[in-house]
Amino acid sequence: MNYVKCFSVFLISVSIITGIAIPMVPQPQGWLEFPIIPGLEDKARNIFFHVPVAWTSVLGFLVALFFGYKYLRTKNLDYDMKSVTSAGLGLMFCILATVTGSIWAKFNWGSFWNWDPRETSIFILLLIYGAYFALRSAIDSDEIRARLSAVYSILAGLTAPFFIFIMPRIVGGLHPGAKGDTAGSTPVAQLHMPTNMRIVFFMSIIGFSLLFVWLFKLRIRAAQLENHLSNKEN
Amino acid sequence: MIWLNSTWALVVKDIRSELRTRYALNALFMFVVTSVATILFALREDELSPEILSGMYWIVIFFSAMSGLSRIFVSEEERGTSLTLQLIATPSMVFVGKLIFNCGLTLLLSSAVTILYMLSFPAFVVKSAILFIVTIFLGSLGFASAATIIAAIIAKARTKGTLYPVLSFPILIPLLMTVMKSTSRSINGDLLSNAFGDFQVLISYILVMTAGSILLFDFVWKD
Amino acid sequence: MYELLNQNQLFIVLTVILTIWFGIIWYLARLEKKIKKLESHIKKVD
Repeated sequence: MNYVKCFSVFLISVSIITGIAIPMVPQPQGWLEFPIIPGLEDKARNIFFHVPVAWTSVLGFLVALFFGYKYLRTKNLDYDMKSVTSAGLGLMFCILATVTGSIWAKFNWGSFWNWDPRETSIFILLLIYGAYFALRSAIDSDEIRARLSAVYSILAGLTAPFFIFIMPRIVGGLHPGAKGDTAGSTPVAQLHMPTNMRIVFFMSIIGFSLLFVWLFKLRIRAAQLENHLSNKEN
Repeated sequence: MIWLNSTWALVVKDIRSELRTRYALNALFMFVVTSVATILFALREDELSPEILSGMYWIVIFFSAMSGLSRIFVSEEERGTSLTLQLIATPSMVFVGKLIFNCGLTLLLSSAVTILYMLSFPAFVVKSAILFIVTIFLGSLGFASAATIIAAIIAKARTKGTLYPVLSFPILIPLLMTVMKSTSRSINGDLLSNAFGDFQVLISYILVMTAGSILLFDFVWKD
Repeated sequence: MYELLNQNQLFIVLTVILTIWFGIIWYLARLEKKIKKLESHIKKVD
């Protein structure tokens, strides 16, 4: 566990420093220079932070889905608690991703929100998290709540592939990898990045994922302590 | 054979009880009439583009469905008959029966809205009728398939009425986006072959939602 | 003074972001320590 903490701090700190401080030059040479992407220039640095945060919010949803599935199999309320904490963290990262995304959109494309397919899908993820918590707050019984929220998260997970893979193909958009973009590539829209940028990018993704694990474990332990204390009081 | 018979018996039971009280039918009908009337007052003689028309069409369908489709499960909970239903039928029978009922209800709803629109908006002239009919048909089925399982989920919650649209909207968004685009294409008079991509999305949505709901319904239904 | 800030914009951004980040890390480490203390306390009492 200590490795997770140290690694996440190290990776994110390094990616912050390298992501922000490394200069962007027209003809990069060696490892300490990034190329200038036409149209983006310095704003491209956002990619080291915005995309990993968005990825972590999806990770939070997938983990919540997984623990929901485990709950349905074993009826162990422990899994339900893990599902909620993951969903809470996922919601926080989703809000961060939407905010960083819209700030970047303002600087790059002119307005804060454009209903581009990727923007729409992060908005829908936000709605799904909101609906998940609304459902949870509307049910009193622990067991029924756990069951229904697990079912809803699986149902929402079923509609997710429609957004990720189909929508950007059909409806053209601003994000790279959409229909009108000739330079984009794979379904998950990886920019053609030179190796040094790619390293910083992956460091950031792994760093944020490990940060998610650390936050997750912290919240689980705190919830277990609370449970323990409330059990003792009874 | 027994399965089909029982499922059909459940559908007939729902239709009968619905015709007796006509609660859902009335709710849907009044909702549709009031929304179309409001839109009429707001827009009068303005020239409406196909996108706006199709958007409004599906808005009316969406909100009418949200007010009417949850009746099938909520009425069971309210009348206390859900326990009986759990005893006499397997979950798959119950779900497919309710699904068929909801499909019929949404098809009825969309036909009513189509007729009302044709009467009220002179601009609502559909140039490719087949495209329109197929889109409406697939869209209504998709609506029913997603809305039924969500109705089953909220039937056990407290604030049913407000929770239903909140839960359904994220699930229905892929359907809404595709179907609105397809409808505006049909108003514009596009070729049938161009819309096959949209039809693929709609059909796969219906299949995925129905399969997922049938599998998940067991967990929602049994206490 | 203003020109100095204007020239080194990038490093100003870097400093602000790093401060926020290390603040978050310090807060998380503090939480971690507190939870560990509580857990060992509970283990001792049991």
